[in-house]
Amino acid sequence: MTGNNSAPEVHADNPMLEWHDLTVAYGRRPVLWNVDFEIQDPCLFGIIGPNGAGKSTLLKASLDLVQRAGGTVRFWGQRLAEVRSKIAYVPQRETVDWDFPVSVMDVVRMGATSRLGWFRRGGKRERELALASLDHVGLADFAKRQIGKLSGGQQQRVFLARALAREAEIYLLDEPMAGVDAGSQEQIFSILAELRDQGKLVVAVHHDIRTAAQWFDAIALVDMRLVAAGPTAEVLTPENLTMTYSGRLGILDEIGEAVERRGRTS
Amino acid sequence: MIHLAFVMAFLPYNTLVVASGVAAVGCAAGVIGTFGVLRKRALVGDAAAHATLVGVALALLVTGQRNLAVLLVGGLVSAMVAIVLLVLIRKFTRTRDDAATAIVLSVSFGLGITLISGMVSRGIPGSGGLERFLLGHTASLTANDALLLGTVSVVGVLCIVVGLKEATMVAFDPDFAAASGWPAATLDLVLIALIAVMVVVGLPAAGAVLVTALVVIPPAVARQWTERLIPMLVIAGLVGFLSALSGVVISSLAVQVPTGPVVVLVATAFLVLSIFGAPCRGILWRTRAVSSLSSEFLTKTEVGVATPTGTERRP
Repeated sequence: MTGNNSAPEVHADNPMLEWHDLTVAYGRRPVLWNVDFEIQDPCLFGIIGPNGAGKSTLLKASLDLVQRAGGTVRFWGQRLAEVRSKIAYVPQRETVDWDFPVSVMDVVRMGATSRLGWFRRGGKRERELALASLDHVGLADFAKRQIGKLSGGQQQRVFLARALAREAEIYLLDEPMAGVDAGSQEQIFSILAELRDQGKLVVAVHHDIRTAAQWFDAIALVDMRLVAAGPTAEVLTPENLTMTYSGRLGILDEIGEAVERRGRTS
Repeated sequence: MIHLAFVMAFLPYNTLVVASGVAAVGCAAGVIGTFGVLRKRALVGDAAAHATLVGVALALLVTGQRNLAVLLVGGLVSAMVAIVLLVLIRKFTRTRDDAATAIVLSVSFGLGITLISGMVSRGIPGSGGLERFLLGHTASLTANDALLLGTVSVVGVLCIVVGLKEATMVAFDPDFAAASGWPAATLDLVLIALIAVMVVVGLPAAGAVLVTALVVIPPAVARQWTERLIPMLVIAGLVGFLSALSGVVISSLAVQVPTGPVVVLVATAFLVLSIFGAPCRGILWRTRAVSSLSSEFLTKTEVGVATPTGTERRP
């Protein structure tokens, strides 16, 4: 929200993003336990895990959108409040009402004007920035369209363009591939890879292990706790995947056995 | 509209001033209601509206003054208390949102009615006519009252005009706004407070039972006609303005009719017209679009089916 101040001081010894003993609970139900890892350098980073593993919560807790029961999050060794203008968030697509009476351009402009102070609407600079961001995601021709009249992939790209308009250094994306067709996925991943090549850090919650292996430089496997984190090839081992998804697989096996038994007795 | 202007030319001065004040309330309710509806807060407004009666009655009981400003401040306090209760119920119990709203709405309304009828039957001075706050009755308003209502409405609209960027960002995507450093929860609270204020100044026009219509129907009408926010705000304001104005004028001609039902009926007429006739979103338009689409589809299919057999030449 605060203007275009100079880039945050980057200390070689401070990782771009780090979590220390992060714990989150909804009421009495714990969602994340003692998550502790860091991302040193710009990369395309995936947070992978089963449904209900707390992946989205990890992002939200990092952005103070949900309360932390314990632990800390640091960006370049600093608190969120000090570096907010360098961070952009892309929420899940279903969290907003796509029948809202705004155009594609209006939404992307929100990204540009979100950096201005109170009551400042922005002008030519914000408009051009928004248009450039829209162009970047290949939606410049749709600028005037109402946002509900877009496909899932296009809506996701509008959200990405709004984040780009913040001209951030760290991008946190929640399920950017949910409800997106293969072609758009490819396009979105290339834009994210391009951001990485420009020295930005991109952290995305993702659910598909196959595309994850293909695109992410590094991965954190999460299932209410951190199972493993590191370079993709080292993390995506059969043992780690079994550990991450084991709880669920176990339940599935039990259901399978139960069904089998009922089939025999009846 | 010409009829309305004609009638207004022959109205007494006081009625004219009251009509302008109440029309301003209608306009502001439409503008602020637009954000209420977009943020899906219509029911919260309704609960707040029903809770105003308690405050109105208590204000009279405590101060002994039958002054509109005093009564409305009382109404605003109880409306805000109802909203706080609603938030607390949601936070500390497992009651679902809709149930919590219904509970606060009915309990506070019951309490208000009990207070008012008790006061009227005991003949507490000034309590006569308090039941007018139930359905709205503008005939008894003075020019000063109207000035008060008009001023609050103008301030309400100014708040939205000044904070348009912030209101839009929070109404559309509170998480993005909060992540970008905006106090989304506080802004949400300000929006709810503004809705409560509009519900309170709408009391003389529509009464506790019907005032929600003033906040909800104009935005619903406006959404039918446009896909953009600023035109929606303008249309909602205009519809609210016209509904409130004609409500006052019509009910001033027929003295026995409370203002609220007339206002709501006029607004509903706009709504019915828009639901059917609006371009793109209107039912008539959509049916036509679908039928033209399907006939086009049929022709294409027929061509597709007809061509092979048609080109097939008999030996």
